[in-house]
Amino acid sequence: MSIKIRMRGKSKDGVAEVKALIKHPMESGVRMNKKTGKPYPAKFIESVEVAVNGVKAVDAQWSGAVSANPYVAVKVKANSGDSVSISLADNTGEKGSSELKLK
Amino acid sequence: MKRRSFLKGTLATGATAVAVNAGLLTPSTVLAEWNSKAFSAKTTDDALSGIYGSSSATASGDIKLKAPAIAENGAVTPVTVDATAVNGVESITILASKNPMPLVCEYTFAAAALGFVSTRIKMGQTMNVVAVVKADGKLLKAEQEVKVTIGGCGG
Repeated sequence: MSIKIRMRGKSKDGVAEVKALIKHPMESGVRMNKKTGKPYPAKFIESVEVAVNGVKAVDAQWSGAVSANPYVAVKVKANSGDSVSISLADNTGEKGSSELKLK
Repeated sequence: MKRRSFLKGTLATGATAVAVNAGLLTPSTVLAEWNSKAFSAKTTDDALSGIYGSSSATASGDIKLKAPAIAENGAVTPVTVDATAVNGVESITILASKNPMPLVCEYTFAAAALGFVSTRIKMGQTMNVVAVVKADGKLLKAEQEVKVTIGGCGG
């Protein structure tokens, strides 16, 4: 199963703010399960990549301290009609990606 | 019929193999390796050293760090770092000073990106949010205290 991403983006004067909402538990591996006394196993997104027309623009590394169901916004140089893509992977190897044509 | 599907199969795998050989599909080019040393660091200084090789950053007024003065729920603290006023931004890092592992996230920018990041982070208690920006080889930072009324780590 892949990670679900919702993307929005709009270009204005050659700069586009790209926003994404990602559906992910972002379990840090530190939070304790009070019943068993053991931590919940870590499951968080480790790497995020934003590309414009297939060329890498932003490359991010996350820890489990990014909130659950993460929201992320970045600004890239892109015009309307350009395609922006986000791809990510978590520590268990689960991946997700999404692409958007800018308005 | 069998012969046809067999041929199709071999052709498809052949194409993938060529792509891998050309370095198009190697994992490292798709997604960079996770910096486990910096992310498991227990202090902000160690975390910064793990990423940039240095922890001495100078405070700068050009970095706009937007975070709430009081966060009602520490598990979702909106943080925005706007370093578009700084020239040559290469990377932005967000840290939460008193989290068990302070390093929250690190963004590296290529030519097609602007020094701007907005996200939501978890904070266990009242602490400083630190944004460190690497621009033209120099480290700049901005800090802001966020009061957390409810803990962010399930407490």
